[in-house]
Amino acid sequence: MNAPQFAHAEPDVEGLVLPDRVSRRLYLEREIFELEMKRIFGRAWLYLAHESQIPREGDYVSAWMGLQPVIVVRHKDGKVHVLHNRCAHRGVMVVTDERGNTGNTFRCGYHGWTYRTNGELLLAPMRDAYAGRYDMSDPACFGLARVPRVAAYRGFIFASGAPLDDPAIPALGDFLGEAKACIDQLVDRSPQGEVDVSGGVHKYVVRGNWKAQIENLNDNYHPPFSHACSTDEQQRQFRRRYGDEEGPHLDTREEGSKWESVASVALDWGLSYCGPLPFNQGARGGPVYEAHVAALEKRHSRERVREIMADFFHNVIVYPSVVMQLASSHVRTLRPIAPDRTEIRVYPVRLKGAPEEVNRQLVRYLNITHSAGSLIQSDDVEMFRRVQAGLASEAQEYVWFNRHMADDATLRGGGTSEVIMRNQYRSGYLRYMASR
Amino acid sequence: MTVEQFLAHEARLLDERRFEEWMALFTEDGHYWAPARPDQPDPWSEVSLIFDDREIMQNRIRRLRHPKVYAQQPASRAVRQVTNVSIEGEDAAKGELSVRSVFFMFEHRPTLPEPLARIFAGHYFHRLRRDGEGLRIVEKKAVLANCDAAFDPLFLYF
Repeated sequence: MNAPQFAHAEPDVEGLVLPDRVSRRLYLEREIFELEMKRIFGRAWLYLAHESQIPREGDYVSAWMGLQPVIVVRHKDGKVHVLHNRCAHRGVMVVTDERGNTGNTFRCGYHGWTYRTNGELLLAPMRDAYAGRYDMSDPACFGLARVPRVAAYRGFIFASGAPLDDPAIPALGDFLGEAKACIDQLVDRSPQGEVDVSGGVHKYVVRGNWKAQIENLNDNYHPPFSHACSTDEQQRQFRRRYGDEEGPHLDTREEGSKWESVASVALDWGLSYCGPLPFNQGARGGPVYEAHVAALEKRHSRERVREIMADFFHNVIVYPSVVMQLASSHVRTLRPIAPDRTEIRVYPVRLKGAPEEVNRQLVRYLNITHSAGSLIQSDDVEMFRRVQAGLASEAQEYVWFNRHMADDATLRGGGTSEVIMRNQYRSGYLRYMASR
Repeated sequence: MTVEQFLAHEARLLDERRFEEWMALFTEDGHYWAPARPDQPDPWSEVSLIFDDREIMQNRIRRLRHPKVYAQQPASRAVRQVTNVSIEGEDAAKGELSVRSVFFMFEHRPTLPEPLARIFAGHYFHRLRRDGEGLRIVEKKAVLANCDAAFDPLFLYF
């Protein structure tokens, strides 16, 4: 494309990311943010929605790919399309609600242009005015533009704005890599092997940069400090589920901390997962748990059920757009809005075919941990706000990710290792930012 | 005590951060519910902004009293107004009243780099049980007009 070249130089992002630290400018500067939207959120596989949110033809949800509004919609042949939420005629946002059923068509309110749910223009009113001069059936000019790459894994729908001939972007399955095992475990806890993500949504605003949130998700250095207010004198947290005897112990010992025993595993493209947190280990029980196990045993061997119910991971980050958590069974999306503003959405992942009480408990648990009014997540959001405020200081250029540097050789580490963040920059951020 | 007086008293306990006394207004099986969308049918099939039985309530209040609850240092100041009170129903057998009211709540959180100030507004739906001369709360449901918006973190009960 021969876009006009403007004189201003692009920021030298590569010079701002060092092996063990990154410049504060990455969190503050508008130019860098805009480049991130183009190179990262404009090309990476982004999680948009789950199949269970749009079960019938004509069902849609609105979503964002970086700053760009899109619609995820089920066409009458059952296929899911991701369409830009922008009328081809004058640029109007066609859909302004978060979800619904549109029937067979989307109709723009401005001049009545009407589109099929696969994006094709069905009609532009008073069409004679175009006759003989324009091919109105050309979707590139006159359709709701389709996002080129759309794929799903276990019902989780991802899309990428990278053109199909962009060789840098892998197929979704290759991109997910080992993270697939985490998603499998989340889904396999459903006795039907299917999950339901239509149980409402928690939404909250982070007054900070999107990277501050994603750098926190597998950071097991912060919990005993950021979340100290959730503990009693013995550093014991409140219990989160009926049937648990007590809550987790937020260990702050200088040596031999339980948090170091949590595995950190860095994957390609900035992805990562961490092992189960120390408080999830050990036998769980009670009648609800037993009923869940019994439902699974109707489908799987006892051995397999043991694997499914073991906590294999805590958080898996599918950089840069989503994290999935096993313990509180949720997906959490990140939507960057501005350098200092991010919107987070948290959806409960309910297990189809599980005893009703399992899913009720899961919803209750997620209110406690991840609502805007939660007893946990609100601590983190406060810290992201403070990161943004503190970085106004120019005295020190960098923020540090230099714990356990030796872990870079294996991309594996303990819970407080910052190999996860270093890998986000090296195998994710810089790779996207370096190529156009 | 009239229902209006009871609701004003309840709002005052929250304004004055007398959370333990406020919690004592609830019956043993009492709960507090702030739905996450206007027509949410129940607190079990979908997530809520807040859905506290007494156990969670106690944890939330203990947290608000903790010296390391950083997001409440300094603590928010809030003022609640309760108006348009109407008795919507009465269950004589249980001694329970259903009460609908309108609330406005202003919260000011003094913090750096700048304070956060915001207004919440919506409807309260109280289920109150007669207890001798007084009333106890069986259920308090606070439905914000914008309950499905994305919020800055919420620390206070509405």
